Amino acid sequence: MGCFFSKKSKRKSGDKEDRTPTTTTVETTTTVETTTTSNAVPLGNSTDEAPKQYSWDKREKVDPKDYMLTGLKDVTVGRLPGKLNGQQFVIQECENCNIYVLDHSATITIDDCVNCRIVLGPVKGSVFFRDCKDIKCVVACQQFRTRDCKKMDVFLCCATQPIIESSTGMKFGCFQYFYPEMAFHFKDAGLSIFNNNWSNIHDFTPVSGENNWSLLPEASAVQDFVPVPDAESEFKSVRISNDPARSIVPLTKGGRRKDSEESCLFVFFAGEYTTANARKMIDEATAKGFVLIQTKEVSMRPEDVKRVFQNSAEDLVELITKGPVIALELNGDGVVEACKNIANEVFSGTKVFISDNKNTSSRDVDSFFNFADMQMGL
Amino acid sequence: MGLLSILRRLKQAPEQEVRLLLLGLDNAGKTTLLKQLAAEDTSYITPTQGFNIKSVQSSGFKLNVWDIGGQRKIRPYWKNYFENTDVLIYVIDSSDRRRFEETSLELAELLEEEKLAAVPLLIFANKQDLMTATPASELAEGLNLHTIRDRMWQVQACSAVSAEGVQDGMTWVCRNIAVRKK
Repeated sequence: MGCFFSKKSKRKSGDKEDRTPTTTTVETTTTVETTTTSNAVPLGNSTDEAPKQYSWDKREKVDPKDYMLTGLKDVTVGRLPGKLNGQQFVIQECENCNIYVLDHSATITIDDCVNCRIVLGPVKGSVFFRDCKDIKCVVACQQFRTRDCKKMDVFLCCATQPIIESSTGMKFGCFQYFYPEMAFHFKDAGLSIFNNNWSNIHDFTPVSGENNWSLLPEASAVQDFVPVPDAESEFKSVRISNDPARSIVPLTKGGRRKDSEESCLFVFFAGEYTTANARKMIDEATAKGFVLIQTKEVSMRPEDVKRVFQNSAEDLVELITKGPVIALELNGDGVVEACKNIANEVFSGTKVFISDNKNTSSRDVDSFFNFADMQMGL
Repeated sequence: MGLLSILRRLKQAPEQEVRLLLLGLDNAGKTTLLKQLAAEDTSYITPTQGFNIKSVQSSGFKLNVWDIGGQRKIRPYWKNYFENTDVLIYVIDSSDRRRFEETSLELAELLEEEKLAAVPLLIFANKQDLMTATPASELAEGLNLHTIRDRMWQVQACSAVSAEGVQDGMTWVCRNIAVRKK
């Protein structure tokens, strides 16, 4: 079978062995009639009906170039809020550019870019960097993938486990960004600000004795990596903020070493103000010097409740049926007591779950987040 | 089309266990497709590190669908899954033009594998929902499929996230399972 698309074979993997030619025995010849489209290209070699029309056959044709940035150098470029509206976006062969994609999209691929600073608003599907070098970026997505990349600093919000392949010098920090429309973009992209696996990367090509990836220093400030857009650019109308306290995605410590042995599980149940309440709790706790380790927004079924919440199970079964819960792991000496106090002062009318005491709280945390990880795997 | 309904339609199959193999480059949409077939939520899918399998059983017949990770590094492991495949389902991201050559080459190699000889081939031209997706006919032309002489094949446009086109592809699969020659 020839290959219309191939130029030269430029296989990078040397793992395949030489194959000796084999003959395959064919018992019947294929049928003569083929299904065709209007330009007479067969879509199959069996006697089926004429090909159907699908929604993509009927929609308005667009120019792919409207969804691509190709071969740009030394410029500030991107898309303003409302200009992409959930479509696919492609970035390729750019050098020394500041790229701001400030809208939600379906999926984004970034190929052959060098020395760029990139902001990618919430992506419903995957973000895939290939053959890129010297990139500093802020990305929110469902899947994060790289292949053949070198030296990237990524402030990441990723709903699933990020993966890298044949990449080195990759550094990751927690997503940190704000512009007013971004909260809506997260919703449009179907992403929860509480589901962020930024710090546990899977490397498909680990090298013995080396690390292809690491975490950025905790105090890293986004603006030192990705500047705000030039004041004269088209992006001047977007009210971007790099204040960590305003980040749409709460800052989590993730896999970094915890300062204290004491953690606390704090869970909000579905209701009208769940997200706002969770944010408020995070603000209250961090103001008192406690640290947010991780968060999760996940649906629970009645059978999960007993296993996860153990003794408090009975009251909670009814609450979990209303929608997904939002869970926080907070850390610091005295955090359990502090959480209870904050709950009394600030959330007295709201049903919440708080770890009972510092001896059992680690178990609460493990039970919940292990459950959440399993729930969100296949 | 759910896995169970596929299985019920296979009662005419000579074997009692039917095996579908899902291959394709990483990020093609294989796992999303698998989740769609299993009528499960597709909004939360993680890149496959090894493989995923869905099995359904009905009236003594069993249907197994294997979804194997497609990263370049782990493609050498694909051959571990070839044996006893009844239909090969190859998934292509129709919107990723830069990787058409790569996916062509991988497919060409698969079609020369002895253990996959004469196995019917369904190609899902996936991600048709995306604005810049290449139409199935153009993909078919570029893959030179008309030169295939040794098996039944079909290109099916689809969008795994919305399930549009998926059932049509699976209907072809059901029809062609019994055609497979050992």
